[in-house]
Amino acid sequence: MLSMQQIAKVYRTDTVETHALRELTLTVDEGDFVAVTGPSGSGKTTFLNIAGLLETFSSGTYMLDGRDVSNLNDSARSKLRNEKIGFIFQSFNLIPDLNIFDNVDVPLRYRGFKSAERKARIEKYLDVVGLSGRMKHLPSQLSGGQQQRVAIARALAGEPRFLLADEPTGNLDSAMARSVMGLLKEINEEGTTIVMVTHDPTLANEAKTNIHLKDGVVSETASISQLGNGKQNAA
Amino acid sequence: MEFGPILRAMTRNKTGAILIALQIAFTMTIMINAIHIIEERNDAMARPSGLDEANLFYLTSTGFADDFNEQQQIEEDLRQIRALSGVVNAVQINAIPLSGGGWSMGLSTEPGADADGTGVAVYFVDEHGIDTFGVEQVAGENFDITDVGWRERTDTEWPDKTILTVAMATEMFPDDPMSAVGKTVYINDTEPMTVIGLIKTLQAPWNGWSGVERSMLVPQKMLFGSARYLIRTEPGARDTLMPQVEEMLAASNRGRIIRSMRSLEETRERSYRGDRSMTLMLKIVVGILTAVTALGIVGLASFAVNRRTRQIGTRRALGASKGDIMRYFLVENFMITTMGVVLGAIMTVIFNIMLVDSLSLPPLNVWYIPAAVLVMWAVGFLAVSGPARRASNVPPAVATRTA
Amino acid sequence: MFSYYFRLALVSMRRNPILSALMIAAIGLGIGASMTTITVNYVMSSNPIPHKSDDLYYVQLDSWDPNNAANEPNEPPDQVTWTDAMALMRDAPALRQGAQAKSNLVLEPPGDDERPFMVLARSNFADFFPMFDLPFLYGSGWDRDADEARELVVVLSREINDRVFGGENSVGRTLRLGGQHFRVVGVIDEWSPMPKFYDVTNGPFDEPEEIFIPFNTMVDFQFSRSGNTNCWKAVDGNGFDAFLRSECVWIQFWAELPSQAERDEYMQFLNSYVEQQKALGRFPRPMNNRLSNVMQWMENQEVVDDDAQVMMWLSLMFLVVCLLNTVGLLLSKFLAKSHEIGLRRAVGASRGQLFTQHLVESATIGLAGGLLGLGLAWLGLRGIELLFGDMVDRMTNMDWVMVLAAIGLAIVSAIVAGLYPTWRACNVQPAAQLKSI
Ligand SMILES: Nc1ncnc2c1ncn2[C@@H]1O[C@H](COP(=O)(O)OP(=O)(O)OP(=O)(O)O)[C@@H](O)[C@H]1O
Ligand SMILES: [Mg+2]
Repeated sequence: MLSMQQIAKVYRTDTVETHALRELTLTVDEGDFVAVTGPSGSGKTTFLNIAGLLETFSSGTYMLDGRDVSNLNDSARSKLRNEKIGFIFQSFNLIPDLNIFDNVDVPLRYRGFKSAERKARIEKYLDVVGLSGRMKHLPSQLSGGQQQRVAIARALAGEPRFLLADEPTGNLDSAMARSVMGLLKEINEEGTTIVMVTHDPTLANEAKTNIHLKDGVVSETASISQLGNGKQNAA
Repeated sequence: MEFGPILRAMTRNKTGAILIALQIAFTMTIMINAIHIIEERNDAMARPSGLDEANLFYLTSTGFADDFNEQQQIEEDLRQIRALSGVVNAVQINAIPLSGGGWSMGLSTEPGADADGTGVAVYFVDEHGIDTFGVEQVAGENFDITDVGWRERTDTEWPDKTILTVAMATEMFPDDPMSAVGKTVYINDTEPMTVIGLIKTLQAPWNGWSGVERSMLVPQKMLFGSARYLIRTEPGARDTLMPQVEEMLAASNRGRIIRSMRSLEETRERSYRGDRSMTLMLKIVVGILTAVTALGIVGLASFAVNRRTRQIGTRRALGASKGDIMRYFLVENFMITTMGVVLGAIMTVIFNIMLVDSLSLPPLNVWYIPAAVLVMWAVGFLAVSGPARRASNVPPAVATRTA
Repeated sequence: MFSYYFRLALVSMRRNPILSALMIAAIGLGIGASMTTITVNYVMSSNPIPHKSDDLYYVQLDSWDPNNAANEPNEPPDQVTWTDAMALMRDAPALRQGAQAKSNLVLEPPGDDERPFMVLARSNFADFFPMFDLPFLYGSGWDRDADEARELVVVLSREINDRVFGGENSVGRTLRLGGQHFRVVGVIDEWSPMPKFYDVTNGPFDEPEEIFIPFNTMVDFQFSRSGNTNCWKAVDGNGFDAFLRSECVWIQFWAELPSQAERDEYMQFLNSYVEQQKALGRFPRPMNNRLSNVMQWMENQEVVDDDAQVMMWLSLMFLVVCLLNTVGLLLSKFLAKSHEIGLRRAVGASRGQLFTQHLVESATIGLAGGLLGLGLAWLGLRGIELLFGDMVDRMTNMDWVMVLAAIGLAIVSAIVAGLYPTWRACNVQPAAQLKSI
């Protein structure tokens, strides 16, 4: 469970203060698949970064799995990220110097797994995303969709409770986007909670819950399963 | 630690790593060989001449007037100098230790032209020689006033007594150097001389000679046209006595030139000036070189950090702690440095062999190599720790914020 | 286009000022250290008499000890005996030739108020002056007849003439040397060959002599010699005559032999002379006579100081480190610009244009480094003067050859250092760079 109470985030530069999030309150339930939408600059990425402990917030309370993470130090946050959270980025963020195998290996190394365990997991999740034949390839030798699937494998390999994705299909064509979405849904079926930021209303509709952000606050929440209608649009 | 992936990532980016490793290797080669030379020179400079250097000076008197009576003048000079207050003793001598110019002969234990002679520096002195030098007599006795004769420039005969340094005696009588006293040695192939005493240390005039500790004293005063006097003063009196003696001698006879006055300290300074300057230059080179290499590592590591900002952010997002990131760069640098020092050790040995071959430098002490390895590791560590700390401060949000 | 590239280079350097400074400093230091040591070595190994160095031959005869070579492995002694020198002077067939030795003499200037002083003297034969091309300010050297007649004549250096005669034309005046009256026949202008090739035995970088007198006169008056004397055999008897006739070597001997035929003839003479002496019981070693021209002789005598060589090799390695440093930094810098290069390629820059652009940038850094290096080399040489004092007089002067060499070395170094990074930068695939990973 992920729960935020009146979270605010202010970015200060020399001249300007940007209120990226204002008193944002929301809860993501265990096993949910949340799609976050909203206009550009509404605070989606900021929300995801805070949820994923990449950034700190200015005020409010954030409970992750029943634990208050507001005042954790940097290394405790790193550990939580490593154990509980998986990330998928819009621009994949594979490490160009490492091959596919080593890329998926990165979070496992920090987790401190033994080499046999790491190998087993890497092979398993590359298989899940259908890329087990490409382990020795470098990221630059793969297509965008394939790269994003490697990123998904990397996110899954740590078997996280939460999967956070910032426009995971933003750089993919619609067919590729569909296949990544299908993969995410399967993962969600297996029990991983997913929070996904997207601009694509069709994809958003396939999620279980939609959250719409506007000017740093939740403007609408719709639980698609409650409405029983996949076509209902929260906007 | 994750040696494997670091190594594999490095091989994707070989050039930078190779460049640093080569720099480390060359730096190490230069450093070790330079320190080796410095050490060797320092050892040479630390050898005692055997003299009371702080209180000695010397000058030369050259007569030119038609009526100049050399023998009479030398006796008069020595009497006058020895009588001066502040003067401990004085002697006429042919050469000065460390000065670079002198006279050498060969001595053998058997007579005959075929006997192997041992090279030795010759000092002509009278019975005041040992006291003027300030050397310690360790066996036998000093010359007596009656032993001391006069020598013309072209004389080829030798008196029948001599005093040797312990080093010379050891060279000639390796089994029992102290037994040299009373033994006969041969000069000029066949002329016998009896060793009547041994002195502890007295260096030859040539500090680069391998037999620099081998000297002999011969009891003669010289009529060579120019007379050199070595004068020992009370502590602290040298600097006032130098001009005083010079003036006194010049005034006592206008038919001569007093010249080449110099303190022994200055002679030592001149004698080892080349060595000292060499060591100083080597130190400067090693210092600058280490700085250049370290700055190079800082520069390259900074670039690496900049280039990898996004990947660092990603690693942080995936759960790497600041320490993990820092460690990544330190380990990477450690691996590169290690390649460098391995290559450096090989190059050091090769370069040293070249120096030994072509310039007859002694081979270097093997312990320098591990010591230099530690130094290079430390230099690498210090140089990379700044950029590594900067890397660890890359915020994880870079992963989602950079396009 | 070139000025556009130059401007781009400056912009690029300004973008990373510390890094650019580091690269320039690295090249500057490397060049500075190398040029300092190369200059010293260059002066030490320079040709002191370039227009004649192949015509002048140093003569060596192996009159040494049957049991030991004069110098290992089988080198003849580096000087000759008086007996041999006189025999060669009398009979050897050379265009010019001469024995010479070094002395110290007391010089008493004319007039009573002047104090006498010691001078460095060279005693030589008449041929010395034309053979080594001494430049005369007044008068000339003496002629061969003066040698024969054992005249009391002297040639002064310019400094001595200034000191004793106030710089006037002193030809015909007299002064007392070693207690004898000598007549001045000539005054030479500045003359200090580097190295002092005609007498390396007594110090290849010593000061030149202050006066020159006939060799025979020096012998006649038994003036004190100050040069190196080596004997393998005890002198037989006391007195100067015994010394002259001994096997002691103390004379340098040069011959001018411009053609191969003359050299062959001279060598033949040496060999037959030695045969003849062997018959008289001298020259116990196997025949081993040598003729070495100036540069061969400098080489043989290892005129270039060991320390100077070590320093040169170390400083060249130092330059290598500095260049590796620059290669690394330039490479990083250019690779960091991959994106920009990709973009330029995408908008139509050819590989050659990009290559030139980046080479101009490298060369600019090299030029700056070279200028810095030149300054540092100058400082380094002044530092060496400070450290070594009068021991390196005349050894630390950079001539224009060295200055040009320094700048050339800097630019070449920087281009070499810049070539690889430039090549890498230009091989950037535009597509790969514009595809975001
Ligand atoms: N590091 C920062 N410093 C200052 N302002 C920032 C920073 N990051 C984000 N902002 C501002 O915070 C607000 C929210 O940004 P955020 O990235 O969360 O938007 P977003 O909803 O993800 O937009 P998009 O759909 O375009 O990605 C924006 O106004 C943005 O300009
Ligand atoms: Mg966003």
